[in-house]
Amino acid sequence: MSFEIVAASWFSTDHASAGDALAGVTRPPVLPTFPLLIARARRFTSLVTQMHVQVIGELPIDRERPPASVFATVHGEIQTAERLIAEFPLVSGARFALSVHNSPAGVYSVAVGSHAPTTTITGTNAIAAGWLEAVLTVLGGRPVVLSIADEPVGTVFQGPTGTVGVAAAFLLQPVASGRRASIALVDRDRAQTEPDMMNTLAQLVDAIGKPSPSTLVLGSVQAGTELELHLEAR
Amino acid sequence: MSYPITATAIANCLGTEATAVFERAFAGTTGFIPVKQVYDVAFDTVVGEMPELPTGDTLGCAMTRIATLVLASARQLRPAVHAAAARWGPRRVAYVFASSTGGIEATERTLSPLVALPAGPAYHYANHGIDATSNAVTAYFGIAGVTLAISTACSSGIKALSSAVRLLDRGLADAVVVGSADSLSRTTLFGFHSLGLTAPAATRPFSKDRAGITLGEGSAFVLLERTGEAIASLGGVGVGSDAYHHTTPHPDAIGGMIAMREALDRAKLSPNLISYVSAHGTGTVQNDATEALAIRSVFERAVPVTATKSLTGHTLGTAGLTSVVLAIESLCRQAIPPTLRYSPDPALGVTIVDAAARAQLDHVLVNAFGFGGSNASAVISRTP
Repeated sequence: MSFEIVAASWFSTDHASAGDALAGVTRPPVLPTFPLLIARARRFTSLVTQMHVQVIGELPIDRERPPASVFATVHGEIQTAERLIAEFPLVSGARFALSVHNSPAGVYSVAVGSHAPTTTITGTNAIAAGWLEAVLTVLGGRPVVLSIADEPVGTVFQGPTGTVGVAAAFLLQPVASGRRASIALVDRDRAQTEPDMMNTLAQLVDAIGKPSPSTLVLGSVQAGTELELHLEAR
Repeated sequence: MSYPITATAIANCLGTEATAVFERAFAGTTGFIPVKQVYDVAFDTVVGEMPELPTGDTLGCAMTRIATLVLASARQLRPAVHAAAARWGPRRVAYVFASSTGGIEATERTLSPLVALPAGPAYHYANHGIDATSNAVTAYFGIAGVTLAISTACSSGIKALSSAVRLLDRGLADAVVVGSADSLSRTTLFGFHSLGLTAPAATRPFSKDRAGITLGEGSAFVLLERTGEAIASLGGVGVGSDAYHHTTPHPDAIGGMIAMREALDRAKLSPNLISYVSAHGTGTVQNDATEALAIRSVFERAVPVTATKSLTGHTLGTAGLTSVVLAIESLCRQAIPPTLRYSPDPALGVTIVDAAARAQLDHVLVNAFGFGGSNASAVISRTP
């Protein structure tokens, strides 16, 4: 399943670049500036939506012919869900409206005026599943922007304990004359754990930025297999 | 490409088995109850709560409300999925699950500041996610193919069909179980009420005096196969974005029209060949008016329209597949499920089926539209 990666972008609340994230170099936490959104649209948007919009906004998207979009997230609007429940029974209607997993897709499509198809993939295998969905869509013949992001999960959930918000976006297109990439399901008999979001996205963005060939494991969409991304030399 | 649908399952306020759901739906009865029988809230509305399941069956996961809803359909579909796994091999049967809110109801029980919420299963964050039941469901079915979870608000179920078609088109599966479920929850009840969208009495889609949504819960599953003995076929799926506002539909109904036209194109059908439209039909003033505009624009004729949310309530992310399963049954029965409590609104200009109607039915267009300007449509066709 071959395609091309046109561009990649990165955001982390705690790391200035993918390379910094891989090297463990941190910075004081910052929030996205997400310039794609007008002020009115910024109200009530969560960190995960802001990060999605930030990284997509850095890609060279053709607004005259916007690509299809695939958004992927493990936790979705988890901070919004926490705030809504804390407000019971008088919840904010605007916050509720933006509590759905496809809020970033809606906010993005409004911001760029795109009527193109969009979907949102979620779950513990969101990285691999998002890539699979995006590549299958590219194989249908149209460019796709894939945006992957997650915000920290509140301690009240007694769940994942990470404190860093991270996002990366990738502009994919059918094979033409650029750098070729492919994905493949590879049988594995080792125990499978879903890859760490920050490290995986950092490795992806870092590898795409380098001319050398590489192979990265994206996670599992099927028991007993792993989804691998192969980047050919540039 | 068209794919056969070889089995279906459905559960909601009309019943926990397909036979009960179909009998009540096509008889034009419903099962709404006052919200205060379910939740201690300060406003009036009705809701569609699924009856309790017979005891004895369980999934291998925490039996949260969403898990119970999923099980209600999974147990119906299990024999057909076992047969598909035997036919294609377990690793060639994929599972695509769709939901808008996933395990939010379980999370509310732990995090809500409201007192006296009834206890549920011991809380674990893993019960919150959209895919919280997916591993248990694939084990229950005995399948080991690709597993995906989709969440695009109320269009989720139809978008899951779109993902399933991609898996089949690209040879990553020979059969796909496409399932969806959403539960009643305080989050959605308070949220829709805050937006002024809950109807004080049972919803009246496309009526002149329509006043909003009746929330429901349920699950609906279909089994798509590359080949097989079909009860109906999935002709095509279309999706489109409004790019207008997060909750208000585009005034020119652009996203809905794109979705319907794309579904028709993929099914290689003229609008004239559609027997009826199963509308998203939420019962809100604006949504129904916009959907009516989209239908008028695409069809340019008085195509019959029905709104099954008047029967089941709005089951959110499972609304699309609920309508698909009812559409399949309508093709088998050659009868259109009715839109209940209808009073004509001449301003809408659409032809609503307000009583169970027998007709020659060949193709049904199903709509599912959602927050984020997310629109999806599917064409379901009768088998020859």
